[in-house]
Amino acid sequence: MNTALKSRDVEVFTEAVATYFERTTRKKATVRSAYLLESRDPFPLSDFTGTITLSGRFRGIVCFTAPRVLLHHVLMMTGESDHSDLAHCDLIGEIANQFAGQARRHFGGGLEISPPALLMGHAHVIPRLASNYPFVLPLTWHGYEGSLIVHMEASH
Amino acid sequence: MRQRLLIVDDSMTTRNRIARVITDPRLAGLHIVGQARDGAEALQLARTHQPDVVTMDLTMPTMDGAECICALIEMLPDVRILVVSALSDKLTAIRVLKRGAHGFLQKPFEDRQLVDTMIEAIHL
Repeated sequence: MNTALKSRDVEVFTEAVATYFERTTRKKATVRSAYLLESRDPFPLSDFTGTITLSGRFRGIVCFTAPRVLLHHVLMMTGESDHSDLAHCDLIGEIANQFAGQARRHFGGGLEISPPALLMGHAHVIPRLASNYPFVLPLTWHGYEGSLIVHMEASH
Repeated sequence: MRQRLLIVDDSMTTRNRIARVITDPRLAGLHIVGQARDGAEALQLARTHQPDVVTMDLTMPTMDGAECICALIEMLPDVRILVVSALSDKLTAIRVLKRGAHGFLQKPFEDRQLVDTMIEAIHL
């Protein structure tokens, strides 16, 4: 079985985020050019981050990180009146939850997916895989920028 | 007659959004009797409020949606259940429909999709 990571494996996560914004707010998100995060560079975490951890056929993490203002605007556009930190965390968790559904559809069985973990603030260290560099895919929605980070490798 | 609706989802913002969408005039026959964060809380509220209709997430702590569907149908055999979940692969959909759910809506969803699927699932 070939378990090498392909570009399509990364695209499914960009589609998950783009679809989330389009269906939830009716405004499209634009995914810009991806870049590789070098080993000395920290993960570009923003105010809120939602992460899922993968194990099994592939291992690693997929996360979406966004500034408070982006999430605040999504909450407003969906009619949410609760604008607390809790609501922002809940929202970024729901976005990360889309990754789980998309990963399940795309990769099929043999993949364990953790429930979304939520991080607030920039001062978090996310463990690196030894064999490759994380992909960072900046995304613009309604003039605000968030990032999708895909850091996965095939398990041996 | 108005139908009692229970919303089950571990995401507060999703529960609130479903509650707002339910105010659509085409769903005027529904009124919300409770909101639960997981399957266990859903069963407690179901005992008290005897809902006619339930929107059900699948991935939740304590008791997940698939397990809760079975328990709900045992408790309330006529309850109509609409699954609203990001886990929307074919196998998952077939599994929950076999357990007795009446409809399946994939997250993320547009407001009108929820209204349409709800109408279809509960024959309003």
